[in-house]
Amino acid sequence: MLALATMNGLVIGAIYALAALGVSLVVGIMNVINFAHGELYILAGYFSYILADTLGMHFVLAMVLAVALVFLFGIFVEYTLIRPTYGNDMYSLILTFILSIVLQNAYLLIFGPYPNKPPGWVGGATHVFGAFYYGNQRLAALVAGAVVIAFVFVLVKKTWFGRIIRATSQDREMAELNGVNTTRLNMLSFGLGCALAAAAGVILAPVFPVTPTAGVPVALTAFVVVVLGGMGSLWGCVVGGLILGLVENLGAAYISTGYKHVFNFIILILVLLVRPAGLFGRREA
Amino acid sequence: MTDIRFYLILFAAAGLFSLLPLGLGDYHLHVMIVSLYYLMMASSWNLLAGYTGQVSFAHAAFAGIGAYTSGILAVKFGVNPWAGVIIGTAAASLLGLGVGVLCLRMGGIYLSLTTLGFSEILRIVITNEYDITRGTMGLQVPGLVEEYSKAAYFYIMLGAAMITLIVLYKLIYSNKGLCFRAVQNDERAAASLGVDVVKVRVLAFTVSSALAGLAGGLYGHYLHLITPEIPSLDQQFLVLSMTVIGGMGSFLGPVIGAFSLEILSEYIRAYGEYHVLVFGLIALVVARFAPNGLMGLAASRLPGGPAPAVTVPSTGKS
Repeated sequence: MLALATMNGLVIGAIYALAALGVSLVVGIMNVINFAHGELYILAGYFSYILADTLGMHFVLAMVLAVALVFLFGIFVEYTLIRPTYGNDMYSLILTFILSIVLQNAYLLIFGPYPNKPPGWVGGATHVFGAFYYGNQRLAALVAGAVVIAFVFVLVKKTWFGRIIRATSQDREMAELNGVNTTRLNMLSFGLGCALAAAAGVILAPVFPVTPTAGVPVALTAFVVVVLGGMGSLWGCVVGGLILGLVENLGAAYISTGYKHVFNFIILILVLLVRPAGLFGRREA
Repeated sequence: MTDIRFYLILFAAAGLFSLLPLGLGDYHLHVMIVSLYYLMMASSWNLLAGYTGQVSFAHAAFAGIGAYTSGILAVKFGVNPWAGVIIGTAAASLLGLGVGVLCLRMGGIYLSLTTLGFSEILRIVITNEYDITRGTMGLQVPGLVEEYSKAAYFYIMLGAAMITLIVLYKLIYSNKGLCFRAVQNDERAAASLGVDVVKVRVLAFTVSSALAGLAGGLYGHYLHLITPEIPSLDQQFLVLSMTVIGGMGSFLGPVIGAFSLEILSEYIRAYGEYHVLVFGLIALVVARFAPNGLMGLAASRLPGGPAPAVTVPSTGKS
């Protein structure tokens, strides 16, 4: 049971990390929290369901297209809703919260309250470490999550675009003085943040089916991960995501399944009490 | 606005309202009672969001705290509902104080995140602790008056709404209220002039939570059934969109928003459960194009009307 709970924790933790990376990137650059993050995660699940199941596309193509569509949607949201609120953090909070409720109700209207599930990638199960059998689909999700996380790290740490991202999140005005078009960067990074939520969505949808409100707990956990890891820190997201995934699953296995999302909240309170800047956060001046 | 003018308008409006039970049937009185509940919720949320610039997503949750505290006390311990409502209000303000102290020194985003988490956790606890709260089945509670009549509840809610508005008016147009707006406009400048920013925010948060607890407690006893719907995020969203559409940061905005949206939702209900979606779209458009809401629009149309109070974007990161 311990091994199985740990394995589940790792899989879901990787997805939390992925969702949190999207939130963290946007917070770091724009100081905006996207409360509709969970609904974009669900949107990608629905897209991949429609493309692969209804239109009969190959599942890889469907996933890539779903992520691309959510990326475009994110850019559209940034352009129409977020951009006019620059410098007024309160309005971006309110707008994205309204957006999340609008999207939830739109899904409910279009797809109904029933769970929808895109087709799985692989079938069967693998005997892990000679200890227990584990679904191949979940193992594949873990690998896919790790690959996307690695991709984000390379993008941010090694490329020219990543250098612009890091410069802007450190000092926006200085980056502007050095010729960075921060408005365009905001648009791209908001889209990228949404695309990361979408990536988490398409990876996890074959394991946990999508419903109109299934994004809420995932987004809440992603927010807790971001606070735990430290706003804007990439490593914080990975470590925090894995910690929360493990805590949630071990807690569900040994204490109570009904309360598995409450453990996250207890962690959030402890972090706020003891170290509000988070594990890897830098104190803001 | 001078004090006398405020009280004149308030009591004149309340006087007109108190004639309503003479002319309205039960259904329309019900709509009025629900509107008064939303008036209390939206006005007290406005204290926080409109006057100190902090967005809390736990306002409906605090109403739920008030409702469930009072309801559980009445059902399990036979406490008088009126005493229960007062204890519920106290419980909401204590919890508000706790959450406020916990996350308000970090400000802005942290408060929004924590309050969102808080309301989600409250939902989980209420759903899981079936023995105490009856979960999603709802908790049946006794009423506030011996003999059930819509008119009696209407007058109770009207009185509570007046108390709420008077408390808010006293606070907003006092020196403390000046501090609220100073903190909203520029935290650092306010701090440099000796305003204790954290204390001001915690005060606003506590008062606003207490008023939500009061509203929730009364509303629960009116419905005779307390369900997890009261502290849900959907309700939080309704309160938020009423404030945004009516006009955040203006005293009258939430009042107008609460009445117009509640009445509108009754019309939409005839076509199905679309009102949340419709309000969401309206709220998005209003928040995007008229950030001061209907009140802001009215003020800019009327010559010599008061200038819009808020939303001068500050520069850079705060």
